[in-house]
Amino acid sequence: MSANNCGRYVYCIAEAGEVLNFGDIGIDDNEVYTIPYDSLCAIVHNCSAEPYSSSDKDIVHRWVISHQRVVETALDRFGTVLPMSFDTIIQDTDEGSAEDNIRKWLVEEAEDLKKKLDRVRGNEEYGVQVFWEPNTLAGVISQTNPELRKLEEEIRSKSKGLAYMYKQRLEKLLKQEMGKEAENYFKDFYHRIEGCVSELRVEKTKTEVDKQMLINLSCLVARGKTKPLSDELENINKMDGFSVRFTGPWPPYSFVTVK
Amino acid sequence: MEPTRDLHATLTDLLDRVLDKGVIINADVIITVSGIPLIAVNLRAAIAGMETMLEYGLMTDWDEMTRFRERENRKEKVLSEART
Repeated sequence: MSANNCGRYVYCIAEAGEVLNFGDIGIDDNEVYTIPYDSLCAIVHNCSAEPYSSSDKDIVHRWVISHQRVVETALDRFGTVLPMSFDTIIQDTDEGSAEDNIRKWLVEEAEDLKKKLDRVRGNEEYGVQVFWEPNTLAGVISQTNPELRKLEEEIRSKSKGLAYMYKQRLEKLLKQEMGKEAENYFKDFYHRIEGCVSELRVEKTKTEVDKQMLINLSCLVARGKTKPLSDELENINKMDGFSVRFTGPWPPYSFVTVK
Repeated sequence: MEPTRDLHATLTDLLDRVLDKGVIINADVIITVSGIPLIAVNLRAAIAGMETMLEYGLMTDWDEMTRFRERENRKEKVLSEART
C-alpha cells in the first residue's frame, strides 16, 4: 500500500453487508466504495492520512458539497445511513491497515451504531428557523401593553427633562416585555412544532442582518409525513412580524452525533 | 409551506451540519492535526489550517466548547420546564 493511500475518508455508515463501488463520486473525484463487516458497512474513499484542509472557502464548500452528495447517493441506495462529520479519516496503525481499523471500529461500535440506525430509520431531517422583526412586535406591544400605554400617555404631559427620564423607563420596560414575548413565542412554537415531528433538537440561534432568529430547530420527521409540519410552519409564517425558513430533507446529521 | 433544498439557498445549513454534526469517531485510529485528535478541536478552524487553529487558540476552543455545553444544558432545562 502506498503512503498516499494509508487513510480512508469515511462518508457514512449503512446497514448493508455488501461490497459495492459507487464510482468516482467522492471528494476531488475519488472512487467511493463500501467496506463491509457483518451487517454494517462504511462508505469510503482512499486518501492520505492527512485532513482535508484549506483556507480557501470555495474549496472547503466544494468538499462539503461532495461529502453531502456521497451521503445522499448512499441514502438513495441503502435507505438509512449515519452521516459522518467532515474529515473523518481512519488511518493505518501498528495494529493494522486502515481497512482493518475500520472493520475493527465497526465491530466495537456495532451496538451503538445499530441503536443510532434504529433511531433515524424511516426518518428525514429538516431544519426549521423562525425569525422575528423586533420593530413590528415592539409596535404591537406598545399598543397593547397597558403599563406601556400608561407611561406613554404620561410622557405627553411631562416637561422635557422628565419626559426624557420617562422615555428611558419606557424603553427599559419595552425591552423587558419583548424578552417575555420572545420566551412565550419560543415555547409556543416549540410545542406546536414538537407535535408534528418524531424528534427535535434546539440549535444555537444565529444573528442575521435585519432579522432576529427566535428559534433554530433540527427536526426528525417520518418520511412522507411532512404535511402537519408544513401546515404548522405555514401558519407561523403568516403571522405578522414572523418568517420561517424550512430546509431539507437532510440526512440525519443532527441526530447521530451524541453517543 | 414547502421545504427548500436549493443548494445556494441552503449552503449555510449544509455547512452547519457537515462541519459541526454527524457521527464522530472517538478512537485512536482517527487522524490527528499535529498530534491533536480532530474531535478535540474546532473542525472549522482545523480545516482552514493549523495557523488558523492556533489563531483561534485551542484554549479558547475548549473554553467555547465548555460554555456551549453549559448553554445547551441550560436550554434543555428551560425546555423540560416548558414541557411540563
